[in-house]
This record gives sequence, C-alpha cells and structure tokens, in this order.
Amino acid sequence: MSTAAFWLLAVVAVASGVMVFRFDSMARATFSLLTALLCVGGELIVLGLDYLGIVTILMMTIEMAIMAVFMVMFMMNPAGLMPMTMIHNKRGAAVICALAFALLVAGILLAPWPSRQGRPPADPTMDLGMSLMGPQMLTMMTLGMALFATIVATVVLATRRGRYDRYGDELQAAPPADPVRGGVGR
Amino acid sequence: MDLRTRLTRVALAQPAVLLVTSPGATRERLAVEAELERRDWPQAAGPASADLVVFAGTPLPVREDDWAERVWQGVPAPRARVTVTDAVHAAHALDHGHATLLKPGTQHAGHQGHMNHQGHGADHEHESGHGEHGGAHEEHGGHEEQADHGGHEGHGGHEGHRPNGEHAAHQGHGHMDHGGMDHGAMGHGGHQHHMGAVAGLPMAERAADRDELRLDRLHVPLGPALPDWPAGLVLRLELQGDVVQRAEVDPVPTPSASGPAFWNEPWLRAMTGEPVTVGEAARRQCAAHLDSLGRLLGVAGWIDAAGRARDARDSLLGGAGRDELVPRIRPLVRRLRRSWTLRWLLAGVGAQARGPVGGDVHSRLIAWLDAIEHALDAIDGRERLPARPLRGPRGRVDTETPPSQSLLDALPELLEGAEFACARLIVASLDPDLDELAPQQLPVGRNHG
Amino acid sequence: MLVLAAWATATVDARSTGPGREVLRLLVQQRRITRAADIPLVRLGTTLLPVAAVLAAAVLPFGFRSVSDLPDGVVWFNAMEALAWAAVWLTGWAPNSTLSLIGGYRFLAQGLAYELPHMLAITTAALGAESLQVGAVVDAQSGLWFAVWMPVAFGIYLLSALAMAFWGPFDQPAGADVAGGAAGELSGVDRLVFLGGRWLLLVVAAAFAVPLFLGGGHGPLLPGWAWTVLKTAAVLGFLLWARRRVPTVRMERYVELAWVVLTPLAVAQALVVAVVVLAR
Repeated sequence: MSTAAFWLLAVVAVASGVMVFRFDSMARATFSLLTALLCVGGELIVLGLDYLGIVTILMMTIEMAIMAVFMVMFMMNPAGLMPMTMIHNKRGAAVICALAFALLVAGILLAPWPSRQGRPPADPTMDLGMSLMGPQMLTMMTLGMALFATIVATVVLATRRGRYDRYGDELQAAPPADPVRGGVGR
Repeated sequence: MDLRTRLTRVALAQPAVLLVTSPGATRERLAVEAELERRDWPQAAGPASADLVVFAGTPLPVREDDWAERVWQGVPAPRARVTVTDAVHAAHALDHGHATLLKPGTQHAGHQGHMNHQGHGADHEHESGHGEHGGAHEEHGGHEEQADHGGHEGHGGHEGHRPNGEHAAHQGHGHMDHGGMDHGAMGHGGHQHHMGAVAGLPMAERAADRDELRLDRLHVPLGPALPDWPAGLVLRLELQGDVVQRAEVDPVPTPSASGPAFWNEPWLRAMTGEPVTVGEAARRQCAAHLDSLGRLLGVAGWIDAAGRARDARDSLLGGAGRDELVPRIRPLVRRLRRSWTLRWLLAGVGAQARGPVGGDVHSRLIAWLDAIEHALDAIDGRERLPARPLRGPRGRVDTETPPSQSLLDALPELLEGAEFACARLIVASLDPDLDELAPQQLPVGRNHG
Repeated sequence: MLVLAAWATATVDARSTGPGREVLRLLVQQRRITRAADIPLVRLGTTLLPVAAVLAAAVLPFGFRSVSDLPDGVVWFNAMEALAWAAVWLTGWAPNSTLSLIGGYRFLAQGLAYELPHMLAITTAALGAESLQVGAVVDAQSGLWFAVWMPVAFGIYLLSALAMAFWGPFDQPAGADVAGGAAGELSGVDRLVFLGGRWLLLVVAAAFAVPLFLGGGHGPLLPGWAWTVLKTAAVLGFLLWARRRVPTVRMERYVELAWVVLTPLAVAQALVVAVVVLAR
C-alpha cells in the first residue's frame, strides 16, 4: 500500500516536474511545479514524517500563490494568452542539471550507508527536530536571527520610500504621503 | 410537459436579471429595479450568472462597438433578453422575458428570444447563438469574426457543449473587453497603444509602475454595463495589477431617450415656468441621493444597507407620505453616520482638497446624508419652487455646463494611482448622471436671454 | 453532513433565492466560458475549492470522532485551507477576463493579510493543548474552553474564518464591484461547484472553531455530536449576522491592521498562553 503510494507520488512528482518546462504558460508551469512539490510533501507523509510533509504542502502552496503575484506583475494578460518559454540559457542549465544529477547519484551509490540498528522511533519528526535543534539550539537561533536580519536589511535597502519621504523632513506630516492609505493611519 | 421543462420552470421561477441601463433611461431603470424588488428576483453581477438580460433604454454602440451584443453573448443558455423603453411597461417586459426564458425552445436548442418592448408590440426574432449554427455568426457582430476564429485556432481544446464560448468576446466582464479596445483603436486610428495581439485580443504592454519598475500594463475599458455603475459611462483604464495608472473618460454617446434628465426634472420644469412645489423637488432630490447612496453602498459591499436605501428610494418615488418615510430613512441615515467600519474603509479614498468634489468618499457620503435629511424635512412643502437658484441633486441646473460634466472632469485625476476597488468607490461617490449631458437639457439660453 | 450544513448556510444567505432553486438554476444553465480561456485551469481551480474544503474537514471531529485524527491535524487544516488560495487564484486567472483576474489577485492579497495572525491564532490553541492533534485540543478543553482564556486568538480566528472563505465582509475577491470577481465568469456547473465549495469552506472554517476554541463536543446533558452541531450553528449564525452589519473590508486597509495590530496581539496572546502552559 505505502509502496504503491510512494511510486505513484514519485511518478506524478517527476512527471509534473518535467511538465514545468514543457508548458508555455507561466500559470501552468507554476501550478505544475506546485503539483510536483505537493507530491514531495505526500512522499514525506508516506515516509512517516507527517509534520514535515504537511508543512511542506502548506509552505509550497503559499509560496506558489505568492509567486502568482509576481506573475501578474510581469504578465498581466490573464489566462496566459502570450505563450512564453519557461527555459532560458538551455545549454548552461543542462550542464548544471547533469552535473548536479551525477553528483547526487554518485553520492547515493558511493556513500557508505549505515545498516539499520534498532527500530524507527514512534515519532520521527520529534526525533529529527531533537537531533537538529537539541545540541545546536544556539546555532539555530543565531541562524534564525541572522536570516531575519537579512530580510529586514534587504527590505530597508530596497525600499524607495523611507520615513522621511512619508512624513517629510521634520517627520511631522500628519497623514503620511502614501500612494494608498493604510488601515491603521500610521 | 416533460420533466425537463418542468425542472426548468422550477429552476427559473426567479431568474437572475442582468440590468443594463443606457444613458437617458433612468426612469426605466428605476421601474425595473422596483419591479425586481417586488418580485424578489435577484440581480446578476455579470453576464455569466444571468438568465435574463434587461436593457433599460435601447443600448447604443460606443465607438462603433456593439457592447450590448457582447454582453448578450456572454449570457449562458437558457437566456432571454428584453429591452424596456418605457417605464410603464417594465412589469410586462419582465413577464415577457420570463415567458421566453421558460419556453422549451430556449433551453438548449439554440433559439433565444429577442424582443423589444416598445409598448405592447413585442416583435419576436430568433437568434441563433449556438456553435452548431456556425454560419449564423455573421448575423450578429460580424466584425468579431476575425478575432473569434483566432481564438478558435489558439485553443484546440474546446468542448462540444460550449456554444457561445468562442463567439462571446466577453471579458473585462463583457462589458467592454480587449475586443472592444480593438474596435476603439481601429475606429479612432490614433489611440495611443500599440500592442501585439493573440487570439485577436490586444496584449498588455510595459510601463513604469509607481515604484518605477517596468511592469505589464493592461488597457481595460470599464463600463458601460457594470453593477452599480453610472449609466453610459465608459472609462478607459490602464491597469497594473489592480492599480489604475491612467484613466480617461470616453465621450458619452448621446442618449436616445428624449425628455429632461430624470433626477433634474422638477428644476428643469421650474425653469420653463411650470409650477413646481418645493416638496416635489425635495422628494426628487432625496430620492436621487438615496439612489446614489444605494449604489455607493453596493460598491462598498454593504448589501444590507444598500437594499434599505433602494427600498426607501422606491417608496419615495412611489409617493409615500412623510410619516411613512421618516421611520425608514432616519434610522438608515443614523446607522450610516455612526458606522465606524464605513468611516474606516471610506475615509481618505479619492481625497481632493478643493474643487467641486472636495473631501473624500466618506465626506461625500456624509454630504449626501445631510442632503437627504434636509430634503426629507421639506418633503411636504407646498410653496412654489423659487425660480433661481435652481439647485438639483448634483448642483446648479441653470448653468452652462451641467454639474455632472465637472464631476466627469474630476474623475481622471482622482482615479490615477487608486486601486481598482477604490476607483469603483470614487466613481460611485461622484455618481455623475450622464443624462444631464444630453443636449435637450440646455434650455438655458432662453432663460438667460 | 457537511453538504447539509453548507446547504443550510446557503439558505440563510440573504442574497440567494433558496439554495435548492439556485442549484437547479445553475444545473439547467449552460456551462460557458470566455474566449481564449485556459479551460483546464478553470476546471482545476473550480474543483480544487470544494476538494480543499472536504480535505480540511477530514480532521474535524463530529462529537469526538473525526474521519482521521491526524497527529498534526491543526497543520493539516491550515495546509488544506491554503490550497484554496491556489484554487481561487486559478479560477480568477484562467477565464481570461480582467475583472476576474482582479478577483483572483485580491484573494492572494487577502490570504497574505489574514494568514499571519490566523496561523498564530491556531498555533495558540495548539499551544494551549500542547498538541497539534485536534482530538487532544478538544480533550484539553474538558474544563475551560479556550475561547474563554484566549479571547484574542478566538476573535482573530473568527475574522480569518470569514477571510479564508472570502465571504461576508471579506468577499472582495468575489465582490460586486468587480462583477463577481473570481466567480464572475463561471456559469452553470462550474459556478455551482465553485460557490458550493465556498460555502463548504465557510462551514468547515466555522466548524473548526468548535474543536479549537469552543470545547468541541464537551457540554452538559446533550451528547457530543449534538454539542458540535449546536456550537457550529452558533458560530455560523454569528458569521452570517456579521455580514449584514459591515461593508466589504478592502485589503489595503485590512493588511495594515492585520500586520501592525492583529499579529502583535496574536503573538502576545501566544506568549500569555505559553507562560500559563509552562507554569502549570
């Protein structure tokens, strides 16, 4: 049963992954990528990592939906009327892909996989989390803060309108000069 | 009666009505709306969800584009259409449309009733809109042919049972679509966009957005058939995402219906020297503001309050007494004034410091509420309306330019940079009455001279 | 059961003329779509919505039993409800119509606005029970309901329940100002499936408030299932009433409220709950 599910999901994942490059519409490509990622989430669930699987589904759905926002920015024609290719720099991409694939396969074949000792834990997600976070809590927290700081810094650097643009040089303009007024009046 | 007919009869007992108003047909629109309210028939937001299309006033093509035909093409079968050109016959026309809708022939056989309600002489002509009747395409909107076939080739995967799909050049809600743009551009050579076309539809082009990123910009004509939209208004928008980057008001086709603009009627009559009482004018003014209010609330998505405003308007125009009106209108006005959600959502939208449309959407709404309460007090006034100044619901009636013209002139500037929902609110808060622009409403020279 | 509840919701839905008749009307109506539409995506989008709602309902306990009480039921619900984003966006994009595209686009903005405080709110409930399993969340409320000692999270959840079903004051994606928005180009069966899916989603979202915050099947005298039904009906009734009281909330206003006010509130609520849980 779970073997069948594994193979079914794997085939669908790979097939829709391939379709990402075959479709000539951004919407279709995005959603076939989403299908592939949902299948990967399903694989994780099949492997017993429920939490990771569901979180993958959740994150990927939202991520792809957000990608659709950018899609509309760059391609406003609804229904993908203007066909466009999803492939750029074909040769370079092919080389990189082949290399990455070869590397991964080599890793799978050459790595000295340990043989199983004992039984799988009742809650693999818990154990995974413990082994990731337990001894390295400080690393993880530092990493988290660093990532967050990077996000904030990027936004600050990228934004065109800072508070002096909004509130004037004295920071005293009563309603801030925004293109669209927000809901809190700040 | 077979099962199918009977099912249809039950299903369409209360058909969804798409009401499309032409400029100059306010009276007809009000009659149809009141009748729909009485029958409890729902109003459809667009062609796809409609069963019965009611044209209030004969629809005129805009820039040689027969938008009404396209709206009709967007309606799924079973469907029927009627044109109401006289307010008195609204109920009759609806009955007739409903009967055509229920006629077995309309179901899926490809015959749609198409009648014109001028008085009682309903002339019947059958149209074939279905795909099977391929050849019939030329009959309506032959100018669409090219584009349609383009669409055909572009997409092989149509299903058999999709009759009007490819013919219905209907997007941007059918009201005016890319196809319509095309015609506009063709008819008026020097339109400023030069876009490639796929499937006969013009494509978006690139332009800087408000952060100066070069992003896709879509040209969308808005109107004339949108819910809660000023009759006959067509705006040409350039959209990025749902932000309006540029707006242009299309010249309004001359309304076909003769007679004075409905909302200005008492003042126009007074201008010609007829005796008009203050009460009559106040009643019309109150109803006009309630009508505008109903539409603004409809656009703002407050269905409940919008319905109340419309009910009040209908009973006002139906001649209800002050005792009956006050308990209906006062609570509504009080509720709208107090609603902090309404204030939170509308304040700051479409704000302009000065000019005829000073303030924002919320302050304009409050101004209507004030005017409604004020007019409500004068509704029983028996004295004669003073000859001047003649101040109608939208401003001075006795000046050279009708007040709605200045509202229209203010639109493009207000709309620029607004998001689509805000743009709709701004238009609804100005609520220009295009009936006023009709030439017959300028007996001014005579009065002045 | 779900379908029945959705049916009942539709009955109360002020604008419809009676759901039975409306369903019939849409069934006899021809299925048509705009020119040059991306038909597979329309079909995918419209069917994905009810499918997402039903999948989300899998972890809903009826009384104390659910179809599948997953160990991560709360996250599952959240993931399935996010599928609705994809569904609505696809339905808005695919018919090749600008107004419908705007409708779909708006739902993404709405999703981004409501999701942050929403996730924190449901996390708070899970935190209070120290489990992501819906059954465990219900068990943790055998005494005091979460709604009582996490009122902020409950309020935020109710708001997001409306928002995720783009219904009532949050109906902007299918609003009248864009002539029906994402649903604007659908007719016949497509429309039935899409709008039916929306009602299902609303019912599921309302029903999920019961195990999360209102003690699930716990209650005196009546059996568990009866309490579930009663509480769901109460939540639904409240949501239906709310629609009549307020105009449509536009996202450019709500997003600031959600991120600047609601999210910190939700974090504060989660902190309070975390401290209580640690201390007991």
